[in-house]
Amino acid sequence: MGKKDTNVRMSLQTLRVLEAFLENPTVQLSGAEVHHRSAIASGTLYPILLRLESAGWFVSQWESIDPSSAGRPRRRLYRLTSTGLTRASEVFASFNRGVLA
Amino acid sequence: MSRRNERWMESEMDGVFKWLIHHAALQAPESLSSRLEEEWLADLECRYTALSRLGLALGCCWATVVIVNEFSRVQVPAASPVVATKGYITLADRNFGYFSLRSGTLFLILGLHAALFCGLVTTLSLTSGLATQSDLPNQVLNPVPIEVTVLPGR
Repeated sequence: MGKKDTNVRMSLQTLRVLEAFLENPTVQLSGAEVHHRSAIASGTLYPILLRLESAGWFVSQWESIDPSSAGRPRRRLYRLTSTGLTRASEVFASFNRGVLA
Repeated sequence: MSRRNERWMESEMDGVFKWLIHHAALQAPESLSSRLEEEWLADLECRYTALSRLGLALGCCWATVVIVNEFSRVQVPAASPVVATKGYITLADRNFGYFSLRSGTLFLILGLHAALFCGLVTTLSLTSGLATQSDLPNQVLNPVPIEVTVLPGR
């Protein structure tokens, strides 16, 4: 597929995930932190994160730590892309207007 | 329960949770399997209560089912530090409406139970209506003559 399709199914859980990121769009969050902020069950959360990543709304990378010195495994961190930020803002703006984008 | 037994129990349960996550990740698409396992094991370390850890482990099993369903043709370059999102199929064509797959399943089960309950109530009310009429008149029954026949020889 040459061009990414940035359309994502908007469920309530997806909105809650986006809301967690929109509080500070530059922040990188792990799945555990998103779970803590949005209180979404892991069985729903991880497919949403992958779905948004595959749509180009998120990018993810491994945490840049040394697991042996940190004493814990490295986490996978997600953050909003510029496309994701734009689209998520549009979605929430459309909710304020009463129209779903 | 002694301190030693508590520790033993915690380590055993921790092993079960990790096995569940490992098993769940193995069921995921090959390109995502190792990434998901490492990600989920790292997130497991952020859960402190046994119940929460169990919830994460079972959630990962469910997440795998959803991911396999949705990402069966996806090829994510998991080894790259920043995942490039080019070259794989998105989920936009898998539109289940406003509910997630799990919520949809829950609503389906609830709907089936509600339909079954309504069907039973409706059928029972119809059956009881046929069995008993509401406007039964009071009638005095005439005494039935009883004929006593005496058998010969008694």
